[in-house]
Amino acid sequence: MSETTYKGFDTLRREQTFRYPPKTGSAVPILNEFVSPHIESFNALFDDSGLPAGDGDGRGLLSLAIQDIGERVVFDSTGDSDAQGPAAWGNRMSIWIDTVSIARPRNPDKDKKSTERRIFPSESRERLTTYRGRMTVKICWRVEGTEENSIVRDCGLIPIMVRSARCNTRHMSSAELVFHNEEAEEFGGYFIVNGNERLIRYLILPRRNHVISLIRPSFANRGPSYTQFAVQMRCVRPDQTSATNTLHYLSNGIAMLRFSWRKQEYVIPIMLVLKALVGASDREIFENVILQDYQNTFLTDRVELLLRSFKAYKLYTGDQCLEYLGDKFRVVLGLPEDWNNAALGIWLVQKMIMVHVSDARDKFRILVFMLRKLYSLVSSSCCADNPDSPQHQEVLLPGSLYGMIIKERLEEALTQVRNQIAMDVRNKNPAVDFFDVRYFNKVLTRVNFDIGAKMANFLATGNLVSPTGLDLQQAAGFTIVAEKLNWHRYISHFRCIHRGAFFAELKTTTVRKLLPEAWGFLCPVHTPDGSPCGLLNHLSRSCRIVTSPLAVAHIPSLLTSHGMTSVFAPSVNGGTNVAVQLDGRMIGWCSPDVSKQLARTLRIWKTEGQHNIPLDLEIGFVPTLPGGQYPGLYLFSSKARMMRPVKYLPNGRNDSIGPFEQVYMDIACTPEDIEQGVSTHVEHAPTNFLSILANMTPFSDFNQSPRNIYQCQMGKQTMGTPSTALKHRTDNKLYRLQTGQSPVVRPELHNVYGMDAFPNGTNAVVAVISYTGYDMEDAMILNKSAHERGFGYGTVYKSQIVDLKDLQGSSKASASPTLHFGFGYEHRTGPNGQNRFSEFLDQDGLPFIGAKLASGDPIAAYVDDTTGRTHSVKYKGDEVAFVDEVRLLGGDAADTELQKIHITLRITRSPVIGDKFSSRHGQKGVCSQKWPMIDMPFSESGMQPDVIINPHAFPSRMTIGMLVESMAGKAGAMHGLAQDATPFKFSEEDTVVDYFGEQLLAAGYNYYGNEPMYSGITGEEFAADIYIGVVYYQRLRHMVLDKFQVRTTGPVDPVTRQPVKGRKRAGGIRFGEMERDALIAHGTSFLLQDRLMNCSDYSTAWVCRSCGSMISLGFEDISLGEMASGHQRATGPHGEICRVCKAAADDEDNRARTAPPQQDTRVSLPRGNVLGTGRKGGDLDIVAVPYVFRYLCAELASMGIAVSLEVH
Amino acid sequence: MNNQPGQGSGYPNTGNAGGTYVQPPRQDTEYICADCYAKNEIKSREPIRCRECGHRIVYKKRTKRMVQFEAR
Repeated sequence: MSETTYKGFDTLRREQTFRYPPKTGSAVPILNEFVSPHIESFNALFDDSGLPAGDGDGRGLLSLAIQDIGERVVFDSTGDSDAQGPAAWGNRMSIWIDTVSIARPRNPDKDKKSTERRIFPSESRERLTTYRGRMTVKICWRVEGTEENSIVRDCGLIPIMVRSARCNTRHMSSAELVFHNEEAEEFGGYFIVNGNERLIRYLILPRRNHVISLIRPSFANRGPSYTQFAVQMRCVRPDQTSATNTLHYLSNGIAMLRFSWRKQEYVIPIMLVLKALVGASDREIFENVILQDYQNTFLTDRVELLLRSFKAYKLYTGDQCLEYLGDKFRVVLGLPEDWNNAALGIWLVQKMIMVHVSDARDKFRILVFMLRKLYSLVSSSCCADNPDSPQHQEVLLPGSLYGMIIKERLEEALTQVRNQIAMDVRNKNPAVDFFDVRYFNKVLTRVNFDIGAKMANFLATGNLVSPTGLDLQQAAGFTIVAEKLNWHRYISHFRCIHRGAFFAELKTTTVRKLLPEAWGFLCPVHTPDGSPCGLLNHLSRSCRIVTSPLAVAHIPSLLTSHGMTSVFAPSVNGGTNVAVQLDGRMIGWCSPDVSKQLARTLRIWKTEGQHNIPLDLEIGFVPTLPGGQYPGLYLFSSKARMMRPVKYLPNGRNDSIGPFEQVYMDIACTPEDIEQGVSTHVEHAPTNFLSILANMTPFSDFNQSPRNIYQCQMGKQTMGTPSTALKHRTDNKLYRLQTGQSPVVRPELHNVYGMDAFPNGTNAVVAVISYTGYDMEDAMILNKSAHERGFGYGTVYKSQIVDLKDLQGSSKASASPTLHFGFGYEHRTGPNGQNRFSEFLDQDGLPFIGAKLASGDPIAAYVDDTTGRTHSVKYKGDEVAFVDEVRLLGGDAADTELQKIHITLRITRSPVIGDKFSSRHGQKGVCSQKWPMIDMPFSESGMQPDVIINPHAFPSRMTIGMLVESMAGKAGAMHGLAQDATPFKFSEEDTVVDYFGEQLLAAGYNYYGNEPMYSGITGEEFAADIYIGVVYYQRLRHMVLDKFQVRTTGPVDPVTRQPVKGRKRAGGIRFGEMERDALIAHGTSFLLQDRLMNCSDYSTAWVCRSCGSMISLGFEDISLGEMASGHQRATGPHGEICRVCKAAADDEDNRARTAPPQQDTRVSLPRGNVLGTGRKGGDLDIVAVPYVFRYLCAELASMGIAVSLEVH
Repeated sequence: MNNQPGQGSGYPNTGNAGGTYVQPPRQDTEYICADCYAKNEIKSREPIRCRECGHRIVYKKRTKRMVQFEAR
């Protein structure tokens, strides 16, 4: 173990920075770094992003987007009304968007009184509004032959990312942030929508501008003669929108190109595209695909088939192909009527195919490359690429997605303007006048330009409403709430990366697998277990995402001068040369040896900063291996790639590597691991592959790996310190640990990430002993006196919002509200305004701060103007709460009276039996007893444990890290050291037990950390020495008070009369069929009867013994008539009869009475004369049945099914 | 919180007669601005705005009433 200089807790310095946050810069600068992909990708939307320009002119994504949108054209039909075609079109108006601008959040102009015009995020949070700035577009139009006109159109208020280029806190220092009610460590990266902090989660996408080969059996189902082989390329335009092109191999040797336009897929023969692009002749195509590799008969055969089969189309020149394409796609594309087919064809090829390059020749070259790779895949000379591997993945950046949606909304609005005019023209609306500015303005007012509301909706719901689908596989779940449960959970949100909602429902688990390619980019430990396991990952600590464009335009010529054959070379042998690509553009050819040399040279240049090679350039050198990946030198300079720093061994410089190139590298984890001649790189730190949270687990290298996974989860469920600006938080629920401490045992990175500002637990003296019997099955015993000293004491803050606008009696129509906070006249009569609310509510109708509320107590009072009555809003919680803060929220322009209040309620949560605790090693347990201190065991020095856990917690779980932490904590507490618990610091020679054992010896303890202890009850020494030390304990947010569910009697379901379910409704816990099976197996029939009948829906029913019906109960009025006749009737005590049987008996009587005399004479007697047959109406029994059974009988009867019961 | 001046007088006691509801007396209570922490007296039915800085959120002051609970 290396000796570090300072080993204290830095308490004074920490207090100093907390009291006086730095006036320049940030308190913990590294926290700003790890959200930079969020913020910088948002900044990239704007022209003034502050990001390097790269090869472009530095324009923002929005500017590039409106350039890509282009113009819309409409004609006014003022031409020759009899003519058809161009002559009838009339004047041609083109409309386009010239500029988009988004302003910083500011007060509305209506508000004249404010001294501060800017709006800060804390205000949006507290007022439960959206942090947004105004967006405007400049729309231009021109009627052919006249001047260009323009108008600025308001697009509403668009949500702004906190601390981005459009945020008012962008460059603030920690001190300024604290002044504006933010966290000193506030790093932004999220949006505030209706007071909630929401962020756009990273999403994994296929790597852009790189051809991947796929073998998918489902491809064969696409149509006749389709096979499982395809190559695919996700091409990205400069504005970060993408279009995926797939090349399918058909069993007849040809290839079909697939692309999609407005969610509709189209497939066209590759030959059509190749010819349309550059007007290539058959020979040119043949030579380009074969590349002098004439011996490769597989290839030559396929290309011959390709060429021959295309003869059927009878399209020979490029122009013919373009016209053919334009003709077929005219209806779909909706482009101006005056464009001819060739123009449409050019547009289609330009906008849909290989959109990452603009030049047609470049498109042609990359398509030919795709074709070659496809044939290589089919002939098995190269393998299929794994799309689940990070090698072929990149990240969907929040800002890019935001820009894509804005682009689409703008495009939609522009098309609507065009359609609106076109409709007016078609309807012969007399107002149509292309030369009248007022007409155009009027059209604009009819078009919905409220992009701000749509963006707010996107962020609030995460749902993507899009006609094109944006080339993404999902339409929902893009945004999540950044929960401030504790600091660990909060920061994890900004590093989490999702594989995609589509994969969540996939039955196969291959996408969830942890692949070696992910090393250093995705943390292998930090993923939830359960359904999102392996799909929701977290970025490793040192993983960065490239967000700024790089300057690489000079690289092709540089490589050419170092041995690469340029693409213009007339003859290249494709059999002996491999392709060199830069961002999906062919830049040359070279032999495998030269490509290896080039890759090495480039790496030296980029690490040493020579020839202006940017450090973030990814040099994907794929060597030629039989059956390996398709060889070549693939350079990537684009955005959205994951990169991580490592040390390059040949020159000892820092290198930045990506997941594509990492696959072919040998990176040693530690300097000791370096193998001469093999290793190319070495990790800066062996812990870099872990995420921030996984790095916080002390001695995680001593634990069994699933325990570290559990700790990553539990760290995020801990009651800790969510925020230091608690007074200004309005979260729905906040958990706070009152007695947080800095851990004695912590990894180095704990300090680096400033975790001490947000403590997450308490150092506890833990004895590992089976003492009371109350520590079985992961239960733990809490020292009652430790509990009374405040161990694990927590608070829950809950929000209650009272918005009079939403309450009954508020008028939606009138501008002035009808409900007002306060008391009405009837409550003012008593002395000093005393009334029934006085205990809780102040004169303004709002609760006193500090008021103690029980369930049902009033929390606010308001008057209804129309009725003059005073109503109250009640506190609905079950627990006793205290009013912590009352916020009176004004309107946007500060000109409205009080309508909305936000009340923070404080609920005290002292630890009780049943609350959950855990150490930092996945060792969770439930408090089973608060044991009196006098009965706790004690050591020879008189120490008593705060917590007792059972020794059985260790053997099967193998969390040696916890045992080590216990020793280290004990030694640290005795010597006043902050123990370094960074993993991978010890070795077999230099053992951790020895290091801390020596410290313990020096402090007067046993070397191994165990001590003789004495029973607190008998005072006798235990036969064994007890392992006792200091472990950092977290209190988890799962508390019995939120979970317990008991019921004796309570609400029942009105239909079935069975107890309702759900804790919230005081329901019961289901005694299900498996529980029933258990009771049957035990033969406990009384218990079964009790559970399923008597304690559930016990009911009695009359059942007719003769017909068995349960639903035909009727009543005979026994007080009248019948008794007089003197005979007995089979009725119940209150005259209950079976209506069915009675009707049948009456019927029989009648028939007997009225039947015509037949051959044998039947005497018809009045029923009263017959003795003993008192059976009319049957006789009824009372039976006990479940009520649902009666209900079932009634339902069956409604369908015409009679249920008959036999009564024995 | 008995700082309410005698306001009961001077108001007609025909409160709800004829559907015309007479406005209850305006209460003025002291609040604290969330931005500049200035004390603000805002009467009921007045706009929520800090007089000093124009901020749109105010906090209620802690009660001056004795708050005592049994500590058990």
